[in-house]
Amino acid sequence: MTHEVLIIGGGLLGCAAAWHLARAGLTPRLIEARGINAGASGQNAGSLHFQIERRFLEPGGTGHAQGGDIVRLNRLAIEEWAGLEDQLGRPLDIHMHGGLMLAENEADLALLSLKVARENELGLPTQLLSGAEARDLVPRLASHICGAAWLAKEGHANPRILADAFADAARASGATIETQSRLLDLRRVGDDWQATIEQSGQITTASARHVILASGHWTARIAACMGLNIPLYLAPLMMSVTDRTAPFLPYLIQHVGKRLSMKQTDDGNMVIGGGWASAPQRMVDGLPDLDAPPHLVPDNLRANLTVAAGVLPCLRARSLIRSWTGMTCISADQLPIVGEVPAAPGLYVAAGGSMFTLGPLLARMLARSIIERAMPDEIALFSAARFAHLNAFVVQP
Amino acid sequence: MSRIVDGVTRPAPITIEIDGAMIQAHPGETLAAAIVAAGAYRMRDDRSGAPRGLLCNMGTCSECFVWIAMDGAWRRRRACLTPVSERLRIATHEGQP
Amino acid sequence: MIDIAIIGGGPAGQAAAQQTLAAGLSTTMIDEQARPGGQILRQPPATFAVKGWMNGRLYRPLRRLLAQTEADTRLDWRGETSVAGIERIDTHFRLTLSGAHGGTLLARRVLIAAGCYDMPVAMPGWPLPGVMSAGAVQTLLKSQQVVAGQPIVLLGSHPLLLVLATQLLDAGADIAAVLMPQTYGQIARAALPYLAGAIFSPGPLIAAGAAMARLRRAGVPMMMGARPLGFTGDGRLEAVDYTWRGQTHRIAAQAAAVSYGFLPQSDLPRQIGAAVRWARPAGGWETVCDGAMRSSIPGLYVAGETTGVAGADAAMAEGEIAGITMARDAGAAAGSGIARAQARRARMQPFIDLLRAVADPGDVWPQATPETLLCRCEDISVAQVEATMARLSPMADASAVKHRCRIGMGLCQGRSCEHALVRRIAAARGCDPDAVAPFRVRFPARPLPVDEIID
Repeated sequence: MTHEVLIIGGGLLGCAAAWHLARAGLTPRLIEARGINAGASGQNAGSLHFQIERRFLEPGGTGHAQGGDIVRLNRLAIEEWAGLEDQLGRPLDIHMHGGLMLAENEADLALLSLKVARENELGLPTQLLSGAEARDLVPRLASHICGAAWLAKEGHANPRILADAFADAARASGATIETQSRLLDLRRVGDDWQATIEQSGQITTASARHVILASGHWTARIAACMGLNIPLYLAPLMMSVTDRTAPFLPYLIQHVGKRLSMKQTDDGNMVIGGGWASAPQRMVDGLPDLDAPPHLVPDNLRANLTVAAGVLPCLRARSLIRSWTGMTCISADQLPIVGEVPAAPGLYVAAGGSMFTLGPLLARMLARSIIERAMPDEIALFSAARFAHLNAFVVQP
Repeated sequence: MSRIVDGVTRPAPITIEIDGAMIQAHPGETLAAAIVAAGAYRMRDDRSGAPRGLLCNMGTCSECFVWIAMDGAWRRRRACLTPVSERLRIATHEGQP
Repeated sequence: MIDIAIIGGGPAGQAAAQQTLAAGLSTTMIDEQARPGGQILRQPPATFAVKGWMNGRLYRPLRRLLAQTEADTRLDWRGETSVAGIERIDTHFRLTLSGAHGGTLLARRVLIAAGCYDMPVAMPGWPLPGVMSAGAVQTLLKSQQVVAGQPIVLLGSHPLLLVLATQLLDAGADIAAVLMPQTYGQIARAALPYLAGAIFSPGPLIAAGAAMARLRRAGVPMMMGARPLGFTGDGRLEAVDYTWRGQTHRIAAQAAAVSYGFLPQSDLPRQIGAAVRWARPAGGWETVCDGAMRSSIPGLYVAGETTGVAGADAAMAEGEIAGITMARDAGAAAGSGIARAQARRARMQPFIDLLRAVADPGDVWPQATPETLLCRCEDISVAQVEATMARLSPMADASAVKHRCRIGMGLCQGRSCEHALVRRIAAARGCDPDAVAPFRVRFPARPLPVDEIID
């Protein structure tokens, strides 16, 4: 049986791409080794962050020229999130009440004002707030917070329920979604891709014109098995959650100089993260075990909570009820890699950073690039072609 | 009276405060025992506002998570593992003074 | 860095400490209680004097061990302290502690002898204040010298209720009824296959018989075959509903003590990735070990109820075995009694099997209704859990259900509901509970005050 599109991975990207493809009549088949949303899509902290990161600001810095493209994408992502609950027809705990990127000292503040100026120039309506103005929004912020960049459309969503909504919508539009279905082999046969799949002990094969590797941190390993080099590197992270408390923080909190993301969920818990590392478990040969949950690093937990309680002292009254770890990946240049792999026509990837915030938009763009047989301009900066040189000497098996 | 009296010698009682009400407790007792002995069952509220009381009395279930005034700040602790002390102030809801 | 960290100051931990201390190994014992003893000998506050405390014959060996432990000045006792985390670093372990002795502790070897807890059983009205585990009622009595409330109803399938009833009688409490869902016939049939072997442990059987006789003499209403339906009351327990001999009854009560069995404390072994298996028949996860009490993780040992609920005598024997093994593995002068302790432990097994078979609520589980809360921390009902399971593939594991409806995401980390969820998934799939992947156990094992972590 030949499918138009075979999607490997049942996370946010894969399920959302399946939905867009199914709505276009392409009846995709999605296979997922474990369950829907079992990986990073369900384990991230759920931030919707649209202010631009520090490395895209510094004049002459590597990302400076891309600032405009990033802002354009972020504005599209804002529209995407704002319409999701209507499109998917169910509540997704999406809150876009605004986000604050905090400054604790003069150096932070100088960076923030540079950032806000550049963002405004590029068309992103951030505002520079004084410490007092920030405390008007969040009275419990620490008294030494001396400023903040405010963006009205930032916020957070519930990563535990989003992929399900896409998967259900995809099924309703004709997609086939199969869980507990593990990809064993993928190779080029004629003009098609041939996949070998294991489902509860049964081994079958399937052919597809297009294959999307929506496999998160497994993407590089699967590509490597096909002889392809995709420069994605493991990013094992940790997140923490406290007991519930009465609502007081409707906004996303970040820090311009330190690793921090913080929000209050619909249920009242405080979710704290911001890119602190956990440690992957190792296999006997010393390589990281991609299937095992990484170990928590206590020093990083302490550091993360110290940053968090530094800006929000009321956290000291809370109890940590769970810290969890998850694995994602970053690309060689820290921008996502999205689109067709030049050395492997018909094979698409989508991984490498900000995949929750940008995921719904990138899935739509990826589907479009298959439907229209051309990569949308908006994601040109994420093109896999920028790493084509890595596959110059590749002979596919 | 739910404290066993026969054959039990306790230190002289002290007073502790729970949600603004004063109850007697004996030094050494756990907060959970003092609350139960006083006939005041509430330890916390569930999400609908209904009261919850002691369940396991061994630190495992966390049903007895109360608010304790410590050095001017409120902290949450398991009442079944917390010994009473003179002038201890307890709240069964968050957001009390 | 210390040689030995023992988590749990009950009979298993104490028996192990005797061996490691005798072998000259530096030994630290950590427990959430202020004084050693475990739940079985939960001591009164040091400020109390209690006449004739726990002086029954069956408690004597435990009391001797406790007296020796408390007198041993070599033992580094750290009470009022919870173990929130355990990690293996190279060839040693790091424990994250919370409470009176908060901070971290490095140890070359760790024994987890963390005991067990009363199996929480979801039934209508069970979140009402006044409805408690039998263990809670018993420890209030033993340690705090407080009667949990009266009149009190004792209910459940576990014969511990008989012991508790006599202890309540001693305290002069007003026992409204003891409701056990099994009939005498069912109990006899469950016990029969094990009776011959159990004569090696006649003490508990004789004690159970004596307790029954004593309750009857005292006029305590004992209803066998009585099925509890649930608890009612306005803001606190006021009455217990049950069926007996075909009729529905309501009995007034201010407190209820519930006992359908016990679950091993498994947070720490699971957090560090030690092999565990579904405990039979009561459920929960017991840590797998070899005959010398070594877990699947080098340097990590387990003893007592953590390895499967078997009672205090078995815990003492296992603790002794674990202590000798740790001393041997550390290259210290180990005691020579390991074979004797192993033989003693083996002789107890028929009685343990008998008790497990008798207490097994397999056919007599109380029925939850759709509104009954399965997860007490997040207030998630049976109906919500069933609706979530119905939306998922039958192969979805416990974490998949948790992520979607919040069951097990609260303060207790799933200790109250996880076993019930896994049973439901297994029943829906028609498989053994052991085949259902449970929650991923995360740090911390107990709620950890943020200010303790960062200061």
